[in-house]
Amino acid sequence: MPPAKSFFKNLLYSFIVLILLLGILFLSRSFIEKVVSNPLDYFKSPLSATDIYFSAVFIALIVIAVLFSYIVYLLLGYKTRFDLEIWSATKDTALSKEQFKKLYESAPVPYILLDKEATIHNPNKAALRFFGVLPEEIEGKNIFSYIAGEDRGPAEKMFQYYKSSMPINRKEMDMVTKSGEVRSVQLSIFEMKNPGSFSTTGLAMIFDITEQKMLDKAKTEFVSLASHQLRTPLATTKWLTEMLVSGDIGELSPKQSEYLDKLHTANEDMVDLVDVLLNVSRIEMGSLSVDLKPTNVEELTESILNELAFLVDKKKIQVKKEYNGLLKDIKSDPKLLRIVIQNLVSNALKYTPIGGTVTISFEERGNEKRIKVSDTGFGIPKSQQSKIFTKLFRADNVRQLTDSQGTGLGLYLVKSVVASIGGSINFVSEENKGSTFTITL
Amino acid sequence: MDNEKKKILIVDDNENLVTVLVDKFSKSGFETLGAVNGEDGLKKALEFHPDIILLDLVMPVMDGLGMLKQLREDVWGKTAKVMILTLLDDAGYVANAMDANVLGYIVKTDLSLDGIVKQIKTVLKII
Repeated sequence: MPPAKSFFKNLLYSFIVLILLLGILFLSRSFIEKVVSNPLDYFKSPLSATDIYFSAVFIALIVIAVLFSYIVYLLLGYKTRFDLEIWSATKDTALSKEQFKKLYESAPVPYILLDKEATIHNPNKAALRFFGVLPEEIEGKNIFSYIAGEDRGPAEKMFQYYKSSMPINRKEMDMVTKSGEVRSVQLSIFEMKNPGSFSTTGLAMIFDITEQKMLDKAKTEFVSLASHQLRTPLATTKWLTEMLVSGDIGELSPKQSEYLDKLHTANEDMVDLVDVLLNVSRIEMGSLSVDLKPTNVEELTESILNELAFLVDKKKIQVKKEYNGLLKDIKSDPKLLRIVIQNLVSNALKYTPIGGTVTISFEERGNEKRIKVSDTGFGIPKSQQSKIFTKLFRADNVRQLTDSQGTGLGLYLVKSVVASIGGSINFVSEENKGSTFTITL
Repeated sequence: MDNEKKKILIVDDNENLVTVLVDKFSKSGFETLGAVNGEDGLKKALEFHPDIILLDLVMPVMDGLGMLKQLREDVWGKTAKVMILTLLDDAGYVANAMDANVLGYIVKTDLSLDGIVKQIKTVLKII
């Protein structure tokens, strides 16, 4: 209970007690009067009335005085307690004010108080560090004047935003410091209503995200660089091998040709592996960019089948195309969709025994567009179906196939890529009967 | 086929790649020239006026885009045929090059040597 409230309650009780006591005294007055007027009847005492009168009044006065002092004592006691409460409350407020000040001053995030004209007051230490200034160099300036760029348009726009009390929440922008360095920040400004007045002020917070941005850039650059460095030797090997195989620089013995063919195949596998690995790192680093544009899925699929023709021929697989004249112009990312379809079709071909059938069909239902790839292959064991999209997972039944060199990354990549282009993937599969993968876009 | 040999300039910082491409194109009836960076490539291009330039993008000293920019400032170079030879499937990079009026691009790991020769011949209209 708050101290003030209990104080009043206690005061009320003391008054009730006081009134009760006074009431009793008042009621007993007639009795006292009788005693006083005719004491001999009551006390059978030889004392004179005046003697007793004095004693009775004296006793009564003492009783009243005791009661009165008791009440005064109670009142004083409560007052003292109340004062103590106030004192400790004030101390608490002072402490939390001090704590708040400390928090504001030494917070690692730049904080700035703004008046309604967005003028800077009270920048904290982090803010001074961020801008590289002394307090007097920055106080009184408009915060939006620190937005970088020759064009004052965006700064002006933000200022209008602020003046019309529109919230500014984690708005990304570039700010320029005293040394002229441009840093990427997220700016948030909260409106604060000042108690007891109609004026409002703002609390600006500046999150410096320059490092984060640089890290993102470094990540993307790393993948590009790795892509370049890994592929250059592969391209060289590819072409040098082709040069030898073609016989352009001298005839080879059959055995030499055979070995070179193997070298060529191994190198092509390596090219594919590098592609998958780079795409997986792009996904994991979050640097996969999606570029939606008109996409002809039929054309895309045909070109993929063209690339995989050697595998189709080698395994004598019948490819059924049920395009139904659909998906000739959808909005998607052709490069990413290519990765998805390429993986599904090459999986279907890889995991279907010689002479099997692979069917690619397109469906359209309302807004939903579906691409289905089914095969009459080995299928996925029921017990392992839940793990099929897990990175590096390969089902037991295909792991035993000697001629399949899967990485366990394909379907993981497919699922991630499908998600990034706003689609979903599911499948049905039965061991030794085949699988059907369906992409819904 | 033209009686006169077509001239091709191959610019790539990987010497092995330049060697194999120079050999292949020579075997395929081209007069071939190789260069290992943009600066070298630019000099040779302006000197020999090749019928087509195969240009890598990422190179030391002067990169492909830099060379392309300077090439386009030359009277002859303004209309020279250029095909980008790249490893990057980085759309932005290739798009930048495409802006400079090139014929197209070849992703190194996608095509076989014969495929590249065929593509170049198609572009030059000699098959």
